[in-house]
Amino acid sequence: MIHVTATESDAVRAIEAEAVSSRFARGWHCLGLAETFKDGKPHTVQAFGQKLVVFTGADGKTNVLDGYCRHMGGDLSQGTVKGNEIACPFHDWRWGGDGRCKQIPYSRRVPLRARTSAWPTMEQDKLLFVWNDPEGKQPPEDVRIPVIAGATRDDWTDWRWTEQIVHTNAREVIDNVVDMAHFFYIHQSFPTYFKNIFEGQTATQIMKGVTREDSRRRREGSGGGGPRMLGNTSVASYHGPSFMIDELTYHYEGYDLTSVLINCHYPIDENSFSLHSGIIVQHSDKLPPEAAEATAQKLSEFILVGFQQDVEIWKNKTRIDNPLLCEEDGPVYQLRRWYEQFYVDAAEVKPEMTDRFEFEIDTTRPVESWKKEVEANLARLDAEGASA
Amino acid sequence: MTSRQDERLLDGPLVPVACRRCAAQVLVRKSTWEQTSIQWNAAARAACVGIEDPHDTCPALRSAIQEAALTGSVKVVDG
Repeated sequence: MIHVTATESDAVRAIEAEAVSSRFARGWHCLGLAETFKDGKPHTVQAFGQKLVVFTGADGKTNVLDGYCRHMGGDLSQGTVKGNEIACPFHDWRWGGDGRCKQIPYSRRVPLRARTSAWPTMEQDKLLFVWNDPEGKQPPEDVRIPVIAGATRDDWTDWRWTEQIVHTNAREVIDNVVDMAHFFYIHQSFPTYFKNIFEGQTATQIMKGVTREDSRRRREGSGGGGPRMLGNTSVASYHGPSFMIDELTYHYEGYDLTSVLINCHYPIDENSFSLHSGIIVQHSDKLPPEAAEATAQKLSEFILVGFQQDVEIWKNKTRIDNPLLCEEDGPVYQLRRWYEQFYVDAAEVKPEMTDRFEFEIDTTRPVESWKKEVEANLARLDAEGASA
Repeated sequence: MTSRQDERLLDGPLVPVACRRCAAQVLVRKSTWEQTSIQWNAAARAACVGIEDPHDTCPALRSAIQEAALTGSVKVVDG
């Protein structure tokens, strides 16, 4: 039994929120599909509070530099790719992917200090990643994004990729890792099992769910063709501060649909981020290539609906550093403790930020309550159907 | 950003549980019979031989926690 004293229970709970830091997370951030940046043109990317230029040289390597030319401040992302260099539109200064000025066509020599900031890049699974580190260090060898086998295999679809700008701090999207209940109230899912594990640079959410009959009826009416989806199993891990790989299996009557969902972002500034989703679907007997493509398209649209539901909440909610939790909520504080490792210098990362932590929710009460709610919704839909 | 404490721990703190299969000692909290929080440290993690899939809880540790809950050394908050 928990006894709450009168003073504790009578005091108004204050919402606390410190000013948002303008420091950006250390780690690999995905900028999207690699081929987007391979069209021989420079691309403007607003990220980490500044303007970047992303360009692919004749050698095929994609580079990320500070967007502004160190000469007179020209916007390199408005320039031209010449060979392996980006040429400034203002005076044609040529910058290499290593951040060094390689050539000034109208000058006999390049000044000694002609160096700009360059971000390490990596291409993997047809995606472009950029390494951000406020300390300016190179990415350690052991800090990696796992390879996604299906992304380069013939028996999987190609990426369906989406991007959008969200106007809030990126912590909001991270918080979803531990937020079981919002999947019912915001996303019309029905979680029945929920567990988190944080360890090292990885934060995992394991969730199983069943299909909500009331949502299905609202979507499809009482008819509803096609195979019945029974539920899903999702194992979703953030690898570092911004890149989540979700091994997502949809269970249909008689077969499973295997997919990998990417949910990733990079900060534009402290009050906005670019939110990306990607999905690939595995072919199977039940899902030949064309059907898998169509399914991937449908799932991609479904994910966007989900993002929209989150965005509606984020647009109107307030930042809160001291969420008031019930026992059926997930480990928000422990997740934020994990997330903090990316916002301190590498030498300041404390064991408690990376030590393994496991949290399994007791879903008994949520499931009871949600069953009742679904039944009530179905009764209402029946009544509406009868009167129509 | 300063780390804050999960206030739920005020209603029932994490308490130590030792595994009997290895030398791992972890901190545990149970809000109900079905809910479990497990806080590891580096020494315990290095000692554990039961985590084959990092997404699973060590089965030996799970048994030790169940027993601790039954004997009352881990108090179930809403038990």
